[in-house]
Amino acid sequence: MHIAEGYLPPLHAVAWTVAAAPFVVHGARAVVRQLRTDPESKLLLGAAGAFSFVLSALKIPSVTGSCSHPTGTGLGAVLFRPPVMALLGTIVLFFQATLLAHGGLTTLGANAFSMAVAGPWVAYGVYRLARRLGGGLALGVFLAAALGDLATYCVTSVQLALAFPDAASGVLGAVVKFGSIFAITQIPLAISEGLLTVLIVRLLTRVSPAELTRLGLLRPAPGKEIAA
Amino acid sequence: MLPLDAAAYTNRWRPRHPGEKAFLSLGLLVCAVALPPWPGALLVGAVAAALLLGPAGVRPGQAWRVLSVPLGFVTVGSLPLLVAVGGTPWIRFEPAGLPLALELAARATAALLSLLLFAATTPLSDTLPRLARLGVPAAVTEVATLIYRMLFLLLDSVHAVREAQASRLGFRTWSTSYRSLSAQGGAIFVRAFDRARRLEDGLALRGYSGSLRVEVEQRPVSRPFVAASAVLLGAVVGGTLALRGVMG
Repeated sequence: MHIAEGYLPPLHAVAWTVAAAPFVVHGARAVVRQLRTDPESKLLLGAAGAFSFVLSALKIPSVTGSCSHPTGTGLGAVLFRPPVMALLGTIVLFFQATLLAHGGLTTLGANAFSMAVAGPWVAYGVYRLARRLGGGLALGVFLAAALGDLATYCVTSVQLALAFPDAASGVLGAVVKFGSIFAITQIPLAISEGLLTVLIVRLLTRVSPAELTRLGLLRPAPGKEIAA
Repeated sequence: MLPLDAAAYTNRWRPRHPGEKAFLSLGLLVCAVALPPWPGALLVGAVAAALLLGPAGVRPGQAWRVLSVPLGFVTVGSLPLLVAVGGTPWIRFEPAGLPLALELAARATAALLSLLLFAATTPLSDTLPRLARLGVPAAVTEVATLIYRMLFLLLDSVHAVREAQASRLGFRTWSTSYRSLSAQGGAIFVRAFDRARRLEDGLALRGYSGSLRVEVEQRPVSRPFVAASAVLLGAVVGGTLALRGVMG
């Protein structure tokens, strides 16, 4: 869930923008460096960003019978790495604010911190850990997508709790309050997103192995490595 | 086409320089967030709505189509302030939270209308090439322009794939829904990278050197518009503070 335009008090909006800025600037520098050595990858980054935007517009069924949208942070982090996702995610959030009025410009920093920084880093860390511990691609991708989604919502809960502490129990009570509200919808959605992401990656390993190899998700087949 | 993008291309302020519209809309946005919600949010919201539906010529139906979903989020997002956690009973209705919830809803609605004043009058194709002048690296604005260029094609593709799947009962059960959704995700990935590859080939054949230059239409900044915007923003700030003084 995006924090809506104007929802955060000015100080919080500025503080979260300052917190997200180093990651986004680091991502932008990484992208600028990459484009200097490989100008053609600009088009791939454009494709990756457009893919992230459209992925977040897919409607996934939820337990309540309504629909919700995947965050796409897990798949994005595994495919394109967290530094690139910090930049692409922020651009996508800017587009969502100006094309769909979802999120906003004053809350761009807070949303970028939860969806373009925290979510992707948690997802990528979990993916690397799962693979290092001997987990397969499907397990790694499932955990990355599900926990990346949950991490995003936990950070959003903390952001809202800091802005609006509970009258009786302060910030900690507000974290529990916002976290419980999100948990009802988000735990099933995180599992849904994990399952969906595994299905997408399994499909892609069949129909688009060359692109996944180029992105480093699959190892090149020995024969092709020699040919390349 | 997305409703907000359609409005951005068809409104009366479309030929204006994006900088003028950004000054007015983002100025109102800052007022919405920084001024005391009572009566600041009411003033900012009323001014933004009047400009949007009046001089900018955005149709009320268009504005409502864009606003209805985020307004729902604002309403739902304000409700937790009416609940207190801790003590006995552990979770309970908290009437003392009502003023804060109303303030929050008013501030967010005013901010949303200010954002809409910019987003519904300025297409991103006008904004993105000019971001370089604000210090955004050219490589970043070019990637953003490419995303903007590709995402409508991909949204159309997803729509077409979804319709085809729905007409073949692709969303009849949970398992068919997941299979259909994963096919949608796969289809957009394949199409996005296929399009990027084709663009890459096309540009390579035209001597691509790493820079995607696009012609940006030159538009003069209207000084009367900027001056009127500054006066209006000053009036909003002054009016809010004066009314607040009267309200005590």
